[in-house]
Amino acid sequence: MTKLTVNNKKYEVSGSSARTLASVLRNDLGLTGTKVSCAEGECGSCTVLLDGQPVTSCLVLVDQAEGRKIETIESLGRPDQLHPIQQAFIDEQGFQCGACTPGFIIAAKAFLAENPNPTEDEASIAMSGNICRCGAHPYIVRAVLNAAEKMRGL
Amino acid sequence: MGMKEKLSIVGKGVPVKDAASKVTGSLRYAVDMGIHRMAFGKILRSPHPHARVKSIDTSRAEALPGVITVLTHHDTPRNNWEAAWFNYRGNVLDGIARFVGDEVAAVAAESEDIAERALELIDINWEILPHVFDIEEAAKPDAPQIREEGNVRPPFLVEWGDISQGEAESDFVVDCDIKFPSQQYAPLGRNASIAEWDNDKVTLWTSSQTPSEVKDGVHEALDIPQSKIRVQALPCGSSFGIWWSNNFMMVTVLLARKAGRAVKIELNNEECMATVKRRHEERARGRMGCTKDGKLTFLDMNHMIDNGAYGFKDDVGYASLELWNGIGNARCQITGVNTNRVTAGCFRGVGDCTMSVALERMADQLAEKAGLDPIQFRTKNQISAGDEFNSMKQYAEELRQEMNGDPLDFVAPELHHKWPKLFHLSSGSSLPMLDDGAARFRWNEKFKGWGIPSSIQGAKHRAVGVGTGSHTCGVETEGNSSAVVRLNPDGSARVFVSAGRQGQGSETTQAQVAAEALGLSLDMVEAELGDTDSAPWGHGSIASNTMYRAGWATREAALDARQQVLELAARDCFDGIDPESLDIVEGVVGLKDNPASGKTVTISEVLNLFRSDAMGQMSSITGRNKDPMPPTLAYSRQFATHFVEVEVDTETGQIKILDYLALQDSGTVVNPQILKNQVIGGAICGLGYALYEELKLSPETGEALNANLLDYKLLRTADFPAHAEVVFHESYDPVGPYGARGAGESPMAAAIPAVVQAVYNATGVWVDMPMSPENVMRALGKV
Repeated sequence: MTKLTVNNKKYEVSGSSARTLASVLRNDLGLTGTKVSCAEGECGSCTVLLDGQPVTSCLVLVDQAEGRKIETIESLGRPDQLHPIQQAFIDEQGFQCGACTPGFIIAAKAFLAENPNPTEDEASIAMSGNICRCGAHPYIVRAVLNAAEKMRGL
Repeated sequence: MGMKEKLSIVGKGVPVKDAASKVTGSLRYAVDMGIHRMAFGKILRSPHPHARVKSIDTSRAEALPGVITVLTHHDTPRNNWEAAWFNYRGNVLDGIARFVGDEVAAVAAESEDIAERALELIDINWEILPHVFDIEEAAKPDAPQIREEGNVRPPFLVEWGDISQGEAESDFVVDCDIKFPSQQYAPLGRNASIAEWDNDKVTLWTSSQTPSEVKDGVHEALDIPQSKIRVQALPCGSSFGIWWSNNFMMVTVLLARKAGRAVKIELNNEECMATVKRRHEERARGRMGCTKDGKLTFLDMNHMIDNGAYGFKDDVGYASLELWNGIGNARCQITGVNTNRVTAGCFRGVGDCTMSVALERMADQLAEKAGLDPIQFRTKNQISAGDEFNSMKQYAEELRQEMNGDPLDFVAPELHHKWPKLFHLSSGSSLPMLDDGAARFRWNEKFKGWGIPSSIQGAKHRAVGVGTGSHTCGVETEGNSSAVVRLNPDGSARVFVSAGRQGQGSETTQAQVAAEALGLSLDMVEAELGDTDSAPWGHGSIASNTMYRAGWATREAALDARQQVLELAARDCFDGIDPESLDIVEGVVGLKDNPASGKTVTISEVLNLFRSDAMGQMSSITGRNKDPMPPTLAYSRQFATHFVEVEVDTETGQIKILDYLALQDSGTVVNPQILKNQVIGGAICGLGYALYEELKLSPETGEALNANLLDYKLLRTADFPAHAEVVFHESYDPVGPYGARGAGESPMAAAIPAVVQAVYNATGVWVDMPMSPENVMRALGKV
């Protein structure tokens, strides 16, 4: 039994403690907003925050996450009450298929917490840890800059 | 024909309808789905490139606790099934493995872990067969034959004029022999399929761009009536052609039938990248000539494409040929070849993003010899709206003989005014975009001459390049797309049309087209694209069909529904007035010429009037497309013209993209936000292929060696300038919905030659793709 705190809710999950956090989030908790593509920490689709730091949840074992604060895309906003980063991704259309989008948005959240006023280059480099295959690259960078502006205004 | 009308919804850059679902992660792809009492399937894959199963023993696997059943070729029908555009042809399982990773058997179990362990308990006695991986080797008559149809079929041939005469008229002649590596779709997000049988009926949930084609595939593979098959195509992650109808979907259907349970098969990343599909590996050999004033005299091309084990394509790349319509005489032969490697098939810009490199590189070399810059040379030799397609002369003649008349003779005379001139380009071209782009990009300042950098700082050479690309706007040869538009009693509408949701926003743009036609606000219209029980047959989102052909059907169906509303309203609410004098604005029917005064009635009131009347016929209205759509291959193309500035480090071979301008002529822009993304997305996918991407296929086993996102390199955000600009040229199309044409594939075909040319201008050498640091250094003679 592993005790997890996900999006401020407490869960107890059974099964092997060697399972990945991504698998537990998706299959046990039904939090399918965390996407898995490469499963080797390269693409960033499965990025979540662990104590505020972005991690690829496909490489985190569930017992490594025990007792720590886990935030997934589901913690940000709902369709009728979007987080400014989510709104900025819509405003700039920083996505196409959407498979990489939750990962990018979580990565952007962590980045903007560290650097609330980034330059275009800084945003562009920061987002390079995640892969977008549809090629929304310029619009993802613009979304991060737009989000920074929205959040500074809050 | 086509006048630009006043539009209220088409042309608006509204966010896609599923935007909030995507940014909150709540949009469900097939991998996110599950159903009650679902079992989990895994596929056993061949370790051999070519081998026959002499015997297969599943008893140890079946004895493993938690295993429900094992499916082998002994359980599968001996029917071939075919994917769209010959992207797959074969049995679901037939006991012969034709590449490393080919499907051999499948297990259904209570968990994925158990299914995976059971795979190791299946015992196979293999008979190893001779294999062949190289295209040239496989094309030889004595090569090991992979298919009963043979590895090679008669080549696809396009010719016009007389190439020997063209050659005699030439002042300059160049040649090429370019090998194009295989590009992997490298899909973000995986795919899964879930099949559930209810007695003799089956439902299949999977992520696909081609819902109807998946249903056709199940029908062909299992030989059961189409009425017993329901496909619910779900949104895809990035697809670009990989998720059409795939054999693992058929395996799921058969496994679920044998298991007597719903079964889900989810592919892992390596399975997605090594066992489904890839872009053809291609070899383009050709010669091209021109006169001293730069008029192209002839082209002689011999193009080979590697179809892998189950692909059957041989007709790629003709839009690129058509783009260079000014070539006086041409012969282009394309040969598809099967090899013992993973199936190759259509990938965004198929054929046109390789053929365009071959043609543009030769054209650029001729332009240099003739002393013309790339813009002048293209302007002299590329097609303009209204021009007759040289490449179609022969086809048009054959068609006239076959039909014993002109195609138009078979169309009702009252529809003739809606038809464009066949075998002539109806609208658009690259020429105005070349001019406009050159001015915007300050081409004349930046281009210093062929092979001459615009600036040099130490080892870093900067230069610009321009490329042009074209592609079809859908194809009609495999069937026509239809749509149904249903008006609900409250006056809202739902569109049913078969298409994909792989990120190109079709659920939104189809709804925009229908809303425009119906006179409804966009919020009142939703489009269902994936359910084959409600959407009529359609080709799906392939070959840049979706806006042009599916959108055409959607508009026709919406106009039919609108007409029905107007006729009812005219008869019963406007004292039998001529329906033509009525209009619908935001769901309210009123007098066209005087909307403010006089009577108005809402669509909902029209429908409810009949619902409350015992003699009424209906409380909803269904609109359909009734007329035939003209054959789009005969007149419609999309055009892209891209400008790029690069910096090449001549000491490391690194190429950096500094600036980018993409011009696109897809006719009327239905949604500029969506189209901008399509254009830049195409550019980035093209640049990725030009610079980094290569699926490495082992010369020893044929298997994919870098089928994972770690070893297969893709462009990241920092690799492309965020200030890249997109400019639309909106040449109105006479047939497409509100003048729109296709869009998503031509950008790739323009991006690749543009960057190849820019690298030449920076370094003075032509570099083969991918233009990796290693290949750049090799071309520079430094390694």
